[in-house]
Amino acid sequence: MSVIELRRASRWYGNVVAVNDMSCEVGPGITGVLGPNGAGKTTVLHMIAGLLSPSSGEVIVNGQKALGTPETYRTLALVPEREAVHGFLTGFEFVRMSARLQGLADATGAARRAIALVDLESAQHRKVATYSKGMRQRVKIAGALVHSPRVLILDEPFNGMDPRQRLHMMEVLRQAASEGCTVMISSHILEELNDLADSVLVMVAGRLAASGHFREIRKLMTDRPHTFTVRSSDDRLLAASIMRDASVFGVELGDAGVVVRTSDRGAFTRNLPRTARDAGISLREILPTDESLESVFTYLVNR
Amino acid sequence: MELPINRTVAWLTWRQMFAQRRIWVAAGIALLPAVVTVLFRAVADPSAEQTGFFAVLQREIVLGTLLPLAALVFGTTAFAGEAEDGTLVYLLVKPVHRWRVVTSKYAVAALTTVLVIAPAVLVPWLLLDDAALTFGIARSLLAGVAVGAVLYTAMFVLVGLLSKRAFTLGLLYVIGFENVLSRSGAVGAKSLSIREFATSIAQSTGDAAVVLGAPAVPLDTIRNAGAVILVVTLGIAIWKLARYQLAERV
Repeated sequence: MSVIELRRASRWYGNVVAVNDMSCEVGPGITGVLGPNGAGKTTVLHMIAGLLSPSSGEVIVNGQKALGTPETYRTLALVPEREAVHGFLTGFEFVRMSARLQGLADATGAARRAIALVDLESAQHRKVATYSKGMRQRVKIAGALVHSPRVLILDEPFNGMDPRQRLHMMEVLRQAASEGCTVMISSHILEELNDLADSVLVMVAGRLAASGHFREIRKLMTDRPHTFTVRSSDDRLLAASIMRDASVFGVELGDAGVVVRTSDRGAFTRNLPRTARDAGISLREILPTDESLESVFTYLVNR
Repeated sequence: MELPINRTVAWLTWRQMFAQRRIWVAAGIALLPAVVTVLFRAVADPSAEQTGFFAVLQREIVLGTLLPLAALVFGTTAFAGEAEDGTLVYLLVKPVHRWRVVTSKYAVAALTTVLVIAPAVLVPWLLLDDAALTFGIARSLLAGVAVGAVLYTAMFVLVGLLSKRAFTLGLLYVIGFENVLSRSGAVGAKSLSIREFATSIAQSTGDAAVVLGAPAVPLDTIRNAGAVILVVTLGIAIWKLARYQLAERV
């Protein structure tokens, strides 16, 4: 059952295409939106939350377009990426304001419960201006959860949280998902969603590069070729010796050392010290050269 | 039928009005005429005409300067800060029609302007305690303040939604149009000047004309032009917020 549906949705700003012809369906549970900075994650989330209209295509939430339909927000909530919260309000006032804007009968009670859920009771009567980044993130999440939404959109919600808070917040989101909530959460940090998301949408340069179960996509990522730059006492001899390693399928001699491409990162890093020792070469430096998230995502797009 | 004012949006806007340094700006605007009055009484010749001083103080400082300044501060505060720092999003993703967000914020900004300017009229009036300055004169001035606040604030709420440099643009309007062009005798300028409207309203009621001078703009013109200004500015503000989208790229 899909709650959120993107039908060939695109969004461009002038000549810049932020989201390009994206189609997907998202149902209850936790769905991660992964991608490097600038991939279009925030634009997609803002289109779903009704803060941006698609330049072409459609974005449907619970069977209707959120943009221009205030009633949609009775069941939808957004935690924006920007940490700005009204600094002159206390945390409690901010969450109660959200409850009142939702028209809840017992706004004060709902605010208390939401504050407790994010473990912010001790600081609830302090001005938000005095909060740390992590506390602001938590009060934003409390404000979004106060009316128990059926669709929860979170844009990089773990920014600024310490590991303990992060684990606690993950538990809160799991609980919401187990109660049937559709949680969509974006991150540019792969590991952040590893244990949390049931499925992921991987975005690169505005396109949906991959979607599905996290483990399957993760496997695609780990199966991709790895590149290392190795510096040694005799780079030319090392290059010749490395070529005998079955896991290596490319070697290039350059000014910075030997650039090695391998399909099996584990086998290569195990074999390299032995290869060097057998050839009488001293290894000085081994650098993985394309481990950035961006290169991982780019591989997914180009594969 | 929904009420035009959402109480929670109004409450938030009220808190915004006096957040940060604005409380001191408000206090300064409210009390400046009282300070000037105290100084006048301390240094002026006892035979000096108090009514003449009061008329100039109210016409030039309160209606001509402090009223548009207060409306500018509170009118632009309604949206400009929130749009810039990103907190406006918390109102946009709630089941509240955007037109109600505009009308609620506008109403609070206009009311705040009146409340801040009211002491600027009443405290000097009380301090001077002159028999010639009847309560009718103070009441006429408050009516002028109310009309000026309603129109100025609508304009500045709109400017706050349209531009990131709302305060600067508003200040240029207050100085350039309201205090230079409309006083220059340029054709039609008086008939569009909110300062002239506010002053003329004050001069048109009760016995205020004797002290404050004859009104420059007829009431009919004020009613018609004022209604057009109000409807057009609020209409554009509602239209603008209804179509407002986050400008943030990717």
